[in-house]
Amino acid sequence: MDFAKSDIQTMLLDSADRLLSETSGVEYWREQRANAVGFDEGRWAQFAELGWLALPVPEAAGGLGGTIEDVALLNIALGKALATEPYVSTAVLSEHVLKQCADEGRAVELLGEIAAGTLRVALAHQENGAHPLAVEVADTVARPSGGGYVLSGAKIMALDAPSAGKLIVSARTEGQEGLGLFLLEAEQEGVSREAYSLIDGTRAADIRFNDVALPGQALLVSGNRAALVLREAIDRASIALMAQAVGAMEAANRVCGTYVQERKQFGAAIGSFQAIQHIMADMFVAAHQARSMLYHALANADQEEEVRSAAISAARIVIGEAGQLVSRNGIQVHGGYGLTDEYAIGHYFRRLMCIEKQFGDLALHTERFGDSIFA
Amino acid sequence: MELRLDPDLEKFRQEVRAFIGAILPPELKERQRRKVANNAALKDQLGWMRILNEHGRAVPHWPVEYGGCGWSPMQLFIFNEELYKADAPEFDWGGTHMLGPVIYTFGSDYLKDKFLPMIREGATYWAQGFSEPGSGSDLASLRTSAELVGDKFVVNGQKIWTSGAAHAGWGFFLVRTDKTVKPQRGISFLIIKMDTPGITVRQIPQINGEAHLCEVFLDNVEVPADQLVGEAGMGWTYAKFLLEHERTTSSFIYWSKRELERAKDIARGEYVGGRRVADDPAFRARFARTEANLLALEWSVRRVLAHEELDTPEAAAASVLKISGSELQQEVTMLQLDALGAKSLRFFDAAPVPPPEPTKTWPDYVPGRTTVALISRAATIYGGAKQIQKNILAKLAFGL
Repeated sequence: MDFAKSDIQTMLLDSADRLLSETSGVEYWREQRANAVGFDEGRWAQFAELGWLALPVPEAAGGLGGTIEDVALLNIALGKALATEPYVSTAVLSEHVLKQCADEGRAVELLGEIAAGTLRVALAHQENGAHPLAVEVADTVARPSGGGYVLSGAKIMALDAPSAGKLIVSARTEGQEGLGLFLLEAEQEGVSREAYSLIDGTRAADIRFNDVALPGQALLVSGNRAALVLREAIDRASIALMAQAVGAMEAANRVCGTYVQERKQFGAAIGSFQAIQHIMADMFVAAHQARSMLYHALANADQEEEVRSAAISAARIVIGEAGQLVSRNGIQVHGGYGLTDEYAIGHYFRRLMCIEKQFGDLALHTERFGDSIFA
Repeated sequence: MELRLDPDLEKFRQEVRAFIGAILPPELKERQRRKVANNAALKDQLGWMRILNEHGRAVPHWPVEYGGCGWSPMQLFIFNEELYKADAPEFDWGGTHMLGPVIYTFGSDYLKDKFLPMIREGATYWAQGFSEPGSGSDLASLRTSAELVGDKFVVNGQKIWTSGAAHAGWGFFLVRTDKTVKPQRGISFLIIKMDTPGITVRQIPQINGEAHLCEVFLDNVEVPADQLVGEAGMGWTYAKFLLEHERTTSSFIYWSKRELERAKDIARGEYVGGRRVADDPAFRARFARTEANLLALEWSVRRVLAHEELDTPEAAAASVLKISGSELQQEVTMLQLDALGAKSLRFFDAAPVPPPEPTKTWPDYVPGRTTVALISRAATIYGGAKQIQKNILAKLAFGL
């Protein structure tokens, strides 16, 4: 166990600092929100140049072979800067699935395209009314046909799908047990995407599949293995999002710390009032405990599934609640200005709310952790 | 950053566990497990210190030259955790974790030679005389005076909340030796023998049936001048050092982890309307929250132990341990009580040790939970009330 950053981690964070501090802040965020995809394609290209998109890919597959800690540290920086790029869905979630692809040659090729910044991949798994932590699929079906499949069904709120070139879709395979994960072109006959913005400026889509014809090699992984890989991928996405939440909280605290020293009422900085100081202290405690809990999740990221998922759910409880405490109090200490789109705190508030509800919300993770304790 | 636990530490844990298992007398363990109040079995604390000392493990966190083990912070963490898990008696925290480090850091050779062995050997229980009736959160305003007359200090005043003073052979006191300077500058750190003429101790009955907290009255108490620790006027600095030196202790992490396991046992053992308390979704959710927060605290402790590099002062990270740790102590004890429901209302006298024999209705885990939960309200008051901690933290972290 070592809390000190390695040389590679220091380099990673330095590069993140340089790129992200130049391009962030309310004006930048509002500009990106108005973009078609919700982020700057030019900056995505820089993510690729800096090697960030190859970070979690093993060296054997042409990547940087970064650890989960490396990925988390980068995501803390992305969270601080409220980056809206589809980093988690492409570089964490999809890369993890593609790494497990049965056809290794194909995997290397796809991961190479992602690393170069020319391909983005999103996961389409969630169906209306389904449990967000379950990997079983109810409605989306792949029917074997010739050497390939015909895919039908519907997915909702596929995060970052509007800017993705390819989709990983979970489906039941007719006549077979369990799950299949299929890779398909996002722009393809029979695929229709209804894209929309989320409150934090990121994008998602509801997707319908109407008899989409797929070749045999579209099936990346199937059966129990697919379920396992999907659960791993979702847990890793949770870790990356929690890291972003920690970054966002720490940045929000800094913003608030500065604001309460500048804002004057009754002839004094509001930060000189004990009521405000105690709120700020609570926010610091929450963010500090949140980072601790990210470490707990990281320490258990490669453990057997039961241990790993319990640790991640426990972390999501602490980080989810801390995110609420920090962002809600952050608005409170800003008074009316906290409710405007012109102050940063409202942007952190919205991002933290999104993270808390993605890949299982606070209530579901509380339930999952509780069940693991008393199982 | 690489956060997986070192496999060697797991080996160390096994060794420590076996070591404790081999030397902890079963009757001590039993009394500790079944004691019905926080401070029952004080004698066992000292007896256990003697046993640990025979094996060179009484003060593992001290420098090796004074009897420490030279362990890493994580090894110390594991040792403490295993002691609590094994239901070993508590350390005499006042001696081993407060006074000891002050003496070996600031004290004269005379003080080191005289008192460090006494602490290691568990020769006596140590009282901590800091608070006064008029000086709680505002400790620097303390008024108990010590006037140097010849080679003796003459001490007059009153202390309060002095834990265990009625059973303590010795105590360490903050006294005012100079009234002409800034309050913090006029305070000195004095070691006083508790049977010195002029000292009167009154035990204060508590809401949990114990009388562990005391008032100490000092009336012309003569104290040899060589029992002054370090320099006169530096007492405030030493007291702050003492509190900061053991900054992870205030988290009560080992204690809370053990008590959470106990809450788990209660939730598994108790039924309401035919359903295990553990299967009540509302209880389970609350338990999950508490355990998650305790895990976070554990990692926060590790971060302080490892001196993680941070953007904010390390003292801010330590302050988190005190605030969260004290809240969690209370939350864990309240979980125990809520799992017991109305059964938690039965009063078990703190005096008889051990408590009545367990029955099916009144299992072993019932007696003591409420007495401890009641006095745990103190956790957010002593060592600087939670509100004072928040004032300090706001200043450290945000410069407010």
